[in-house]
Amino acid sequence: MSFLTDLFGLKPAPQGEPIVLVSGLPRSGTSMMMKMLEAGGIQVMEDGVRTADVDNPKGYYEYERVKHLEKETDKSYLKDARGKVIKIISFLLKDLPPDNDYRIVFMRRDLDEVLASQNKMLQHRNETDTSDDAAMREAYLNHIASVRIMSRKKANWQTVEIRYDDTVKSPAATAAALNAFLGGKLDEKAMVAAVDGELYRNRKDKLKGT
Amino acid sequence: MFGFGKNVNIKVDKDLHARLVKIADVAGYATVDEFVTQILEKEMLHFEDVKGDGDIRNKLKGLGYIS
Repeated sequence: MSFLTDLFGLKPAPQGEPIVLVSGLPRSGTSMMMKMLEAGGIQVMEDGVRTADVDNPKGYYEYERVKHLEKETDKSYLKDARGKVIKIISFLLKDLPPDNDYRIVFMRRDLDEVLASQNKMLQHRNETDTSDDAAMREAYLNHIASVRIMSRKKANWQTVEIRYDDTVKSPAATAAALNAFLGGKLDEKAMVAAVDGELYRNRKDKLKGT
Repeated sequence: MFGFGKNVNIKVDKDLHARLVKIADVAGYATVDEFVTQILEKEMLHFEDVKGDGDIRNKLKGLGYIS
């Protein structure tokens, strides 16, 4: 970013077609959103390495290499995602290279539901987890706030927040909002059909007492 | 945004302002502005520092979302 764009808040010159990013905390509906956008007509950048399982019966839509964004210095491969949609969890947004424009679909879900779903997934993966849910909840709240602050500071980011529960309840409203955000060329009917409410399993009203 | 000074005004409720003035005086701050600035900077650290990142990183590694 140049000195002048920083000084005057000018928008930088476009850097090719924007990359559509589906982001958020793991288990906040990011895979469902990838499926919606794919149905809507956006090409997905994924590698199929992580296959569908009990936690994500319809697939993860992941691209393994982005998991190394914190450590890897050569991030030029992300240019291949221009004009496509790719899933990158919100923790790694801080590591995005500046030489792309990003349209970020930031998935939000009740944090108790997120934690319950993450804890189940850890069990399925036979991972030991010593974290405290209350501390994690606080850490996630701070993390989401920091992402929002970062989003306001980045001239090459445009962000929309989408709630998972709202999408399951009213997929047509979410499809319309996304279509408006991403340029108006998406197939909204196909996006609505891609939403499977049966996969909304860790609901807050059912978590009490568990 | 253009500005000619380094400071901006922020509106707060009158009653809250009265309490801030009182406590700033008792606590020995030179001005209520100095007191409020310190409170805000302290609170902002929750969002801007890396506190909690270690917990998040461990969890995400366990879930297979980062290397």
